[in-house]
Amino acid sequence: MTNNPGDPFEVKRQMDLRLEIIRFLAVAIFVALGARLYWLQVKNYESYREQADSNRYKTIPIPARRGRILDRNGKLLVDSRYAYNIVLERKLGKREVTPKQFPEVQKLLTDNLDIEPAWLAKRFEAAIYAPKHIPIVVKEDASSREVQWVAAHQNEYPEIRVERAPQRHYLYGGLAAHAIGYVGEVSLAQLNNPNGQYSQEKGFKFGDIVGQAGLERYYNGVLTGRDGWRKVIVNSLGKIEDEVDKSEPIPGRDVYTTLDFDLQQEAEKQGDSMPAGRGAIGMMDPNNGEIFVFVSRPSFDPNTFSQRAKTQEGREEIVEYYQDENRPLYNRMIQGGFVPGSTWKLMTSVAALNEGVITPKDSRIQDGGIQLGSYFMNSMSHSGMPDVVTAITISADGYYYRLGLKMGEARFAKWVEKFGFGHRTGIDLPHEDPGLPPTAATKQKTYEAISKRKLKEAESAPTPEAKKRLVYQAEQILRDAKWTDYDMAASAFGQGQNKSTPVQLMRYVAGLANGGKMHTPHLLLKAVAGTDRNDVPQPELRYEEKGFFTVPMSPEIHDIVKRGMFGAVNVGGGTGAGSRIEGFDVCGKTGTAQVASNERAGSKNKDHAWFISFAPRDKPEICGVVLTENAGFGGKQSAPRAKAIYDIYYRRKTGLPVDAQAQLIKTP
Amino acid sequence: MLAPNPRFIRDFDWLSFLLIIGLMAFGIVQIHSAKPNDSSLWRKQIVAMVLGLIVMFIVTKMDYNRIFGLAPYLYGLGIFLLILVLLFGETINGNKNWLKLGPLGGMQPSELAKIFTLMMLVRFFSDVRERPLRLKTIFTAGLIWIVPTVLVYLEGDTGSTLSYISFFVVLLFVCGLRWSWILAGFAVVILAGYLAIPSIKNSTSYKAERIKAVYWPELAAKRYRYQNEQSYIAIGSGGPYGKGIGSGTQGPLGFVPEVHSDFIFTIAGEETGFLGCSLALGAYLVIIWRLVQTAQQSRDREGTLLAAGYTGLLLYHVAISVGMVLGLLPIMGIPLPLMSHGGTSILATLFALGLCLSVRLRRFVN
Repeated sequence: MTNNPGDPFEVKRQMDLRLEIIRFLAVAIFVALGARLYWLQVKNYESYREQADSNRYKTIPIPARRGRILDRNGKLLVDSRYAYNIVLERKLGKREVTPKQFPEVQKLLTDNLDIEPAWLAKRFEAAIYAPKHIPIVVKEDASSREVQWVAAHQNEYPEIRVERAPQRHYLYGGLAAHAIGYVGEVSLAQLNNPNGQYSQEKGFKFGDIVGQAGLERYYNGVLTGRDGWRKVIVNSLGKIEDEVDKSEPIPGRDVYTTLDFDLQQEAEKQGDSMPAGRGAIGMMDPNNGEIFVFVSRPSFDPNTFSQRAKTQEGREEIVEYYQDENRPLYNRMIQGGFVPGSTWKLMTSVAALNEGVITPKDSRIQDGGIQLGSYFMNSMSHSGMPDVVTAITISADGYYYRLGLKMGEARFAKWVEKFGFGHRTGIDLPHEDPGLPPTAATKQKTYEAISKRKLKEAESAPTPEAKKRLVYQAEQILRDAKWTDYDMAASAFGQGQNKSTPVQLMRYVAGLANGGKMHTPHLLLKAVAGTDRNDVPQPELRYEEKGFFTVPMSPEIHDIVKRGMFGAVNVGGGTGAGSRIEGFDVCGKTGTAQVASNERAGSKNKDHAWFISFAPRDKPEICGVVLTENAGFGGKQSAPRAKAIYDIYYRRKTGLPVDAQAQLIKTP
Repeated sequence: MLAPNPRFIRDFDWLSFLLIIGLMAFGIVQIHSAKPNDSSLWRKQIVAMVLGLIVMFIVTKMDYNRIFGLAPYLYGLGIFLLILVLLFGETINGNKNWLKLGPLGGMQPSELAKIFTLMMLVRFFSDVRERPLRLKTIFTAGLIWIVPTVLVYLEGDTGSTLSYISFFVVLLFVCGLRWSWILAGFAVVILAGYLAIPSIKNSTSYKAERIKAVYWPELAAKRYRYQNEQSYIAIGSGGPYGKGIGSGTQGPLGFVPEVHSDFIFTIAGEETGFLGCSLALGAYLVIIWRLVQTAQQSRDREGTLLAAGYTGLLLYHVAISVGMVLGLLPIMGIPLPLMSHGGTSILATLFALGLCLSVRLRRFVN
């Protein structure tokens, strides 16, 4: 074709020709695309519009099973099993259930199925604002009779459908219920809160089952699987004719908790025998913060929320939980602010030793009652001039009054802060309470708040006299806000304005056990690798500790703490003798927190009994806190409960038979 | 550099520029319609568009001959990124072509490497003076081409692999491939295709299923037929004038997969109808027409080949991604340039168009 290959004009001519061919090709392609477009959109518009309107295809979601929850050794605690739900499709083919028709459908459903009308009405009301393509669950855990009714009426009411859905099953009911939590349907308020955990923006939708408390909530993202779906063809009557595509759901990731089933089970037993039915037990590994035991009393059955929330009885049970004055849903371990009583004396001892108020060699201080201005502060002990180890062992109140006064508020407050009181431990559970540290600043703040409230009341007082009185009271409260010697003496031995949570005390005793290393208590051991709800693969998840800190504690001071706590359990006259175990060297400290003044003391106002402990004395492996509310002395009420748990731990460790626990509890 | 140059204003291709912006704006509206609840998608697209326009402006102002000096480095960078994605890439929709870049989100190196490979080939061919092409020259060019192409093929992305073929074939064609070879090539492709038909009909691999869903729907598995049908219904139900922006029902409700990226044209079809789609296709055609013109008018061989090669690539992308949703071609995952969601695609497209605009701007030899 080329006569003169080097001729630039000839080359240019040929290139232009070939470019013209490309241009022609481009035009031809576009004409073809345009023609096809015309064929689809103009020529066959009617047919396609009809197909679009009839919604011949429908996507039916298949809910994924949530991940299971296991104990540290792989014992299954929480599972999901399949149940049958009855759902109402709002739009199916050309049929649509509009809000106007809700009353009619409601009647149909309540007449034929076991559904409470008032509840269903509420549910329909909520559904008005939900997207139309999301079906409404009208009955959970349907009986076989109900499933049969739906199947029998499929031709008449194709929009009523049976759906197989996983349902959360808590195998041991209330076991560790406050740690594990429960699941429930996402609420409208949660969906509409854009910054919330379960907002619409994050892809949650009406009818989703999510974790509402405890680990279920904290690790919801880990436990939730990826939902699957079925694409089906429905005919004009709304009946499913064929399935065209299906994506199997991917179950959520299994979560291994740090809980130890054997110990937990024993702790539950101990919790059940608490006299007032209220209290908390927590045990963990002081070397890393892994929680073995997590008990709060009274407890509840999470199955009520996951399985029965839509039944009449279930809702009544839930209402009862909310109305019970003992507040079973309240997580005493992490939300209960209690006066720590004498367990606090170790904190005061460590502070005083570090600040040089006393020294390991010279720690003798007068014990016994003390006159503070016009007030005489009684002491239950009168043991002359004990040293600090003895003071811990026999829990000498008078010793600590004087030690506190000697140290002064500033140095005391510094160590309260150093131990992390007044701050959340960072446990992997929602809604932890930070507590209130017994310091001048806290007192000031609390009193100011009360005073302010009074002033506000005064503004709306009915008479000038009442107003005057309220204003006077407010001023008086402000005057009382000053930190006094009484406050100092009381705070030093664990009374006064102090709100500490059991989990804080558990971390505290872990620090005492291991020489000041404050590990964050936590419940997650690991979550297996898997897929999250957005279909993104996730590697195995292990707990990552944040917030670890150290309380300065020299070996010498640590030794004093250990000797004192060992003495309290193992030396005659020690307050915690009820937890003694031959060969396991349990160290502990009792506490008896005064609830009300002695004159008013009835059974309801009995003191709270504390026991914090660890074992064995050297190289501690387990530590914990036991709180028995309104029961009396810590040594009598709480130390034996700790012993029962240690006993199992020790027997399992040494290979002794784990039995005869009943008689062990009697020993104090 | 920013001072207005009268020649720049006079010779700049304002029509193409406006059409490019128009198509991107049109695309952003469709992305919003496709995923009305996910505002991050169209926001990201706007950011990519602004960045891309800045890149395009800078590239247009620069002399393209200088940029071609960088071609070997860019080519190397492209291959490096492709290897990186093979090693550390994320698999999305079965293709391992996504490179995560921490907070920046991610990128699709194959989109960038396309342009860099094209530039490298253009640089190579601009020094080739022989006509017709000799086998040895074709072989050398083939070596430049095969490395990135194989890497993209290993990612598992058929659509992208074929796009590498598109500009290579156009460059060979324009540089003077013998007519006899061209005809022989055609014959081989057609014969191979014909011979493959029975095995495609029998195969149940997803590639075969996608081909069957278009040409032999009765043989295809239901879910593949379903995808195609949904796309026709969405577009067809748009009718002559569309259902109106934001009023589409088929796309946003999840009947059509990947509506915001590869299937964006279905949304355009449903919401703006024949009118909107014809206008969009018209805009693409004008841009391509102008690219061919640019190739013909360029002051040098480099400019001609660049514009011609990019014409091939753009034509391929538009033909495939529109052709597949219209049911003319099997479904392949490639973006519709300027309209589909995807930052890398937008940046690469605007970079290449900037180069072509630069060639056009400098068409009058001084």
